[in-house]
Amino acid sequence: MRYDDPQLRILLAGEYVLGLMPSLARARFERLMARDPALAQEVSDWAERFAPLDATVRPVMPPAEVWRKIERHIGADAKPGSEPQAPQRNFLNSLGLWRGLAGASAALAAALALFVILRPVAPPEVVAVLTDTAGTPAFIATRTGGSQQIAVAPVRTQAIDAHKSLELWAIAGGSPKPLGLVPPTFGGQLEIASASITGDTTALAISLEPENGSPSGAPTGPVLFQGRVLAANP
Amino acid sequence: MDNRAGALDLQLLMRRVVRRDRAAFAALYDRTSPQLFGVAMRILRQREEAEDVLQECFVAVWDRADTYDAQKSSVMTWLLSILRHRAIDRRRRRAHMEDRLGSEEELLSLRASIGDDADRGAGLRELYKCLQELESAPRRAVLLAYVYGYTHEELAQRLAAPTGTIKSWIRRSLDRLKRCLE
Repeated sequence: MRYDDPQLRILLAGEYVLGLMPSLARARFERLMARDPALAQEVSDWAERFAPLDATVRPVMPPAEVWRKIERHIGADAKPGSEPQAPQRNFLNSLGLWRGLAGASAALAAALALFVILRPVAPPEVVAVLTDTAGTPAFIATRTGGSQQIAVAPVRTQAIDAHKSLELWAIAGGSPKPLGLVPPTFGGQLEIASASITGDTTALAISLEPENGSPSGAPTGPVLFQGRVLAANP
Repeated sequence: MDNRAGALDLQLLMRRVVRRDRAAFAALYDRTSPQLFGVAMRILRQREEAEDVLQECFVAVWDRADTYDAQKSSVMTWLLSILRHRAIDRRRRRAHMEDRLGSEEELLSLRASIGDDADRGAGLRELYKCLQELESAPRRAVLLAYVYGYTHEELAQRLAAPTGTIKSWIRRSLDRLKRCLE
């Protein structure tokens, strides 16, 4: 095979991305790619051209077992202390949607895009994206560069009963910690101290509570929104 | 081609994964695994095998995170490349595939599940427009190969044409697609 013919290189790169190369030819092609950056670039270009076809797939939530197996495989060389804490059992696992937030990557991207449009100045760090039970992003928690505050804001107005409120909770090892009431109306936001999201906070959750929040300091209503903490207090 | 904000966010996660940050790795998995699993299911049509491939894919991502080059491709495209080749390998090792595919019109009418993602949507529209310019049989060959992982031999059987003809259809289609998309 002549790999110096520019036309042929482009075609081979395309065939590689289509998955049409026989195993041996593919292995040879991959070795070549490793030392020929221009060829690797042709392959990346084809991959980007065809990638929209993969967006036509219906996302399917993989079973939790897959992630557990991955964790077991990578366990040995993982940095100690950075392992995500298991979410508190009774509070969130019982709801069965712990990993449900994963389904929302597309909608999540849309929510992030919206957010960037609204805040064009300093690139904010996304602390968490809280999704509803269907996986649609509903609230976004962000920290603006160097700020001691985290803003939690709805990405669109949530319709709730006038005599109810939405209360934000930090989920760490023990009981959920109340962080305040989040406004349900788009444009509003709750500001919390950055320090209240500690390193062991694994998730944020919002429950439906009486008008002035939970009277007991623990969630009393259903958890309507939740999201994994992506970036704890630095 | 990803939505820009989403793509940027995945890049930030990737940078942390390179530094062996497990929380970032978990977030990357959460954000991308449903689509990747969907793609694996579409190629393999068999749940256990798709699960194995998804697992292999993410173990490889963890092991080879430092080979990701943000200049060359988006994170999602990189992840898809790793997954797709594994899924196709797995599919080839199988003796026989039951064939339950629709027409290419069905393929073409598939709407982007990422409807809100304007950039991805535009990329898909453009690709569809260029695919429509191909003749029917070569277009089917390209789509069956990419979307369902068909080999040259399977394409020959399915499209009732000699393997040599399939190969030249593919090359001609690639050539035309590249020019159309430029």
